[in-house]
Amino acid sequence: MMEAAVVVAADGSVLHWHRPAGRSHTSLPDSRDLWEVIWEHRELIAGIAHTHPGAGWPRPSWEDVTTFSACEDGLGRRLSWWIATSDRLRHYRWSGPRKHDYAGWFPVGPTPWLGHLRVISGFNEPIWSAP
Amino acid sequence: MSELYDFGLRPGEARLNITWNGQNGDLPDAVDYDATQQQLRGWAEEAIRAGSIPGVRADRGADLSNFVVDRFPATPAIPYARVMLRPKTPFG
Repeated sequence: MMEAAVVVAADGSVLHWHRPAGRSHTSLPDSRDLWEVIWEHRELIAGIAHTHPGAGWPRPSWEDVTTFSACEDGLGRRLSWWIATSDRLRHYRWSGPRKHDYAGWFPVGPTPWLGHLRVISGFNEPIWSAP
Repeated sequence: MSELYDFGLRPGEARLNITWNGQNGDLPDAVDYDATQQQLRGWAEEAIRAGSIPGVRADRGADLSNFVVDRFPATPAIPYARVMLRPKTPFG
């Protein structure tokens, strides 16, 4: 399994699949290319989903929430941040009041990119969407 | 007297570009190309808070602690060095 990410538009379509050199089963490296994609699509982007290894409910790492916050500071608006494991999907958004306070929710709306995100992450386990 | 390169930059200097709050602009003053990330963040934060970057509205709460630096030497197309501050993007 290798972590991967996808940049998602407000209509649920895919803007960019992110499989950078240097990714591993536990991390995705810093990438100027990813920031350039985010900036180029700043009027369309709804958020970014990435994978975590294993199964069960995911939780964002400190690296994750500081990246969430940095990108939102750069764009000047809030985004959705999904994290998928092999069998669960969680949707995070800034909840405040502090800079790095992000709360998790069940995803609302379709996530047509989820299956392919798991494929490019190399998950072998059975796939099913979160309730 | 030091030789002045194009765009008013001396050897070893660069133009600092900053992305913040959906806006993008260059610091009016040149910076040292080899300045540390911490120095560059500090100068950029001060400039954003003061509203001294054309194209970027003043923001007294600017915090660039999670921003990173990309450095680009001069090229035939862009004949001066650039240093760019942008949000970090790793996931863990």
